[in-house]
Amino acid sequence: MRPPITPIPPRKSQYGIDPSLVKTRVSELPGMTSVLLKELFPDLPEVIYPGEEGVAAVRKATEAALQKIDMSKIKPEHSVNILASHHGFTLLGGEPYAEMLKTLKDVIEARTGCKNIRLRAGVGLRFRETEEYIKRYGLDKHFGGKAIGVAPIDQGIPIETEIGTLYGIRKIYDADWIVHAHNSDVREVHFHRQVDRAVKPFGMSYARIETRSTYHQNLGPRAANFTARAIFDSPFVQGKFAFASFLTVAPNGIIGVDADNDLYALNDRVTQIGCRYYGKMMTLFGEIDECIAALDFPCPVVYVFSAGVIYANFAGANTDLYDLDLPLPAYTWYTEAFYGKAGKPLLKDIPPLNPAIKMCVHNYAWTGYPSAFFSEHIPTVVVGQEQADLFNRDPQNLTYMKHAVVAETTEAAMEFAYKTTGTRKVLIFDGAMGGINVSEPLAELLLKKAPAVSERVESELLPKWLRQRGVDR
Amino acid sequence: MKVVNLLAAVAAEKCRGCKTCEKVCPVLAIKVVNRKAVVDAERCRGCAACEQRCPDYAITMVKREEPVVVKVDVSAVDYARVEDLCRRARLNPEQIICYCTATRAEEVAAAILQGARSPEEVSFLTGARTGCKVECIQPILRLLEAAGIKPEPPRDGWQWYGRTVTVWEIPEGVKHKYATRGFYFDEDIKLLDRVVAAPVQGRRDS
Repeated sequence: MRPPITPIPPRKSQYGIDPSLVKTRVSELPGMTSVLLKELFPDLPEVIYPGEEGVAAVRKATEAALQKIDMSKIKPEHSVNILASHHGFTLLGGEPYAEMLKTLKDVIEARTGCKNIRLRAGVGLRFRETEEYIKRYGLDKHFGGKAIGVAPIDQGIPIETEIGTLYGIRKIYDADWIVHAHNSDVREVHFHRQVDRAVKPFGMSYARIETRSTYHQNLGPRAANFTARAIFDSPFVQGKFAFASFLTVAPNGIIGVDADNDLYALNDRVTQIGCRYYGKMMTLFGEIDECIAALDFPCPVVYVFSAGVIYANFAGANTDLYDLDLPLPAYTWYTEAFYGKAGKPLLKDIPPLNPAIKMCVHNYAWTGYPSAFFSEHIPTVVVGQEQADLFNRDPQNLTYMKHAVVAETTEAAMEFAYKTTGTRKVLIFDGAMGGINVSEPLAELLLKKAPAVSERVESELLPKWLRQRGVDR
Repeated sequence: MKVVNLLAAVAAEKCRGCKTCEKVCPVLAIKVVNRKAVVDAERCRGCAACEQRCPDYAITMVKREEPVVVKVDVSAVDYARVEDLCRRARLNPEQIICYCTATRAEEVAAAILQGARSPEEVSFLTGARTGCKVECIQPILRLLEAAGIKPEPPRDGWQWYGRTVTVWEIPEGVKHKYATRGFYFDEDIKLLDRVVAAPVQGRRDS
């Protein structure tokens, strides 16, 4: 068995405990190993990062991708907003995304003569998160002080769409041109269901609360992402859109940079990557019969990563998140909303959270996303009183600890989990690059199941998923 | 229901009176007076919107000595009226509309039936929209509208701008135009209609 892969280190942030308090990583404990994703799925694409060249490979790929982009609309006297989102900074340490943003600025300036290029970085529910990243990656300096974080409660701007008025964040659109700088990582498949993934930020990190609430409350689980398309297709946004540049990502790393003046052409390519590669990982995770999920990554509970799959998606891996014939995943906000006062779903056909997760060991994860649904339905052990106290002070998680217990150390938490669940299978969500950190029994199971999963996805599931999204032609 | 355990505190020497805090507070608990932000401790619901958006980092969230329980008594209102209002807003009474505080539609409906006339009053009374401050504005506006109330956004504020479309209102032409791109409008209408019509599980207070 291979030694574990060094996980992404803890990160100093107002949303997490101080990194010095993270004494032990779960992957350091006895019995842990790693599996390379290429061992599971040999057809995964080659990556440019991580690699020998480091982030220089990302710069080179961005410059190459931008060669085909028409920037003739951007004149020297114009202003350009490069639009970024928090999520990119959580991928493989964040440096690749930051490097793409810096390269975008440099290339636009060199090609067009335009000097007024700003960075506007949107967020999820942690309103200062991208402020932290802007400083961490030197983006404020690179953009000459013209780099800011924006939040969904900032001043808005009405946008007329074919489904009525929706609302964007004013500072996102306060330039002559916008450049959509994102990534193809799937992350919240439970929300977007890989429908218009590339367009989603227009209804989310670039949008006001009214729009985001439309997505999560007004449209339904499979119609939700239309808010993003409606905004992007509006004359207002079309009048400002210059082009898009995406880090293309597979579960094993950054595979390149894709840029296009046509966002929907790029979106179709992103849909193919998302369904094929992430679909295999999620389907494989759905084969896990029992395990302890260990959270150990600088992100909120739902967003911790393992092989490109977030905990929220593993919590729904007992269902096929890509199959649009399935109305509600086991976890999405619509599902959570539909649990009645007796603690049971209001409809009998709402699936339960993944019963394979016997316990969650929360070694290190952030606040800033409502997560009590998880501790309420999955037995959860939180490591360290400081982390418990932080959750008790988070307006979004005031009842998270009501349902969880505290262990003093990582070792004690895992021992408790082993004893009470009876399983030795552990899946660690620690952002390990190129592989996954797991316990030896789980490594064996995954290696055994992967070939059949790959075959089933290729022959049966993938054609259906692509057909449902209109990208099978 | 929400247990409010935090309170906004202003460092007056850092405050430059820009009024951002005023514009983002969902319960109108902070105002700039004589160019300095002042917190109304009775109204503050500890959501940290002001702390998170203050450009001068002049606000911190401090622990309240005595937490405040914010809750509307649903049993004080005829439940048939609560149910009727929720279903007219196309919500199940037991549906959670605020994921942070687990506030259900019935509590917001009860607040409205007991006199709340705006999202700000609803948030003040129930605690809804004082967690993430983002996701629950639409169901609150839908419930107010179903009660025949047309609230006006706070003047010069950024708290909210307006109700937006629901899936039941998507034009047929739009549905047809995007039918092959993975948007399941009519199927989601069927799903949400079933949720709206589902029986409630229990009448204990939310």
